[in-house]
Amino acid sequence: MHFSEDDLREALKRKDPGEGFTQRVMARVNQSKAESTMQPATKKVNGKFLTWWMQRPAWAMAVVAMLLLAFGIGGYQYSEYRHAEEMRIARAKQQKLQQEAERARDQAIMALEIARAKMNHVLQHAQLQAEPKDKIRRQRL
Amino acid sequence: MNLATRKLTRILILAILCFTALRGYGQDAKLQLGNLDKLTDKAARVTDVTLDGSLLQFAVNLIEKVDAEDKDVEQLQSIIKNLKGIYIKSFEFDEASQYSKGDVDAIRSQLTSPRWSKIVQSMEKRHNEYDEIYVLKNGDKVGGVVILVAEARELTVVNLVGDVPMDKVASLERHLAPSEKHSDKPKQKKERGHDQE
Repeated sequence: MHFSEDDLREALKRKDPGEGFTQRVMARVNQSKAESTMQPATKKVNGKFLTWWMQRPAWAMAVVAMLLLAFGIGGYQYSEYRHAEEMRIARAKQQKLQQEAERARDQAIMALEIARAKMNHVLQHAQLQAEPKDKIRRQRL
Repeated sequence: MNLATRKLTRILILAILCFTALRGYGQDAKLQLGNLDKLTDKAARVTDVTLDGSLLQFAVNLIEKVDAEDKDVEQLQSIIKNLKGIYIKSFEFDEASQYSKGDVDAIRSQLTSPRWSKIVQSMEKRHNEYDEIYVLKNGDKVGGVVILVAEARELTVVNLVGDVPMDKVASLERHLAPSEKHSDKPKQKKERGHDQE
């Protein structure tokens, strides 16, 4: 970009800052002073806290290790608990199924025993009724 | 209604009729024994067994697993594996004439179909004893068996559904009874199928 001498003169010529320029500048200075007096308090606290830990890395590591250990043990115990609970439910289900199956087996055996007894009972009765007729027939022969 | 729609309707009706007929063909070995339930209160001893579907399969599986080498169990297994259902209602009464002729006729009326054949009948009118065995023919095989024992103080209906080897049932060993083989408990006065517990 090329600036001519006139451009520079125009740009750098004296301008009127307007009325109340001094007051505005002073107000701005006061405001920035006030902000700078408030911020350091919190910054100082954070800084102190971090500084304390930075100065004691062993403590920091120990706390981190303790937290990791606690979370690890907690997680492990929870997973163990979940596993045990799932196993318990599965065992209970299996036991229930087994009991149902055993009951069904006993019922089936009892039912067939009744069927056998009744079938033989009817067959015997029928045989007993047929026998006298046979005897008479054989006697006739 | 155009020709295609008519044809489709006819095919649909035919399919429904075939399905209904086949369904009936498969189920008619099972008797409706619900009318006998009213005798439960009068009877001194009630045996009610309802075993079908998954429960019967459970029983078959367990018998296979537990007593695989026992010969009696082998025989039992061979009987049970072809069965589709076992339904028993047995009532023993302290006094005679606790059930009516109508109760027995309701059972007999279900056995009037030509597919049912009465293979054994024993009648003793003096003691009011009517014992019958019916067999449902399913082609060359047995599709079901009904043993009806109607005596003065007893009414028993045994309904076996499926391919029943009659000779094997009749020759089953007595000691297979679960009360003797599987538990030492004395028999309860009223036994119930666990379906109704």
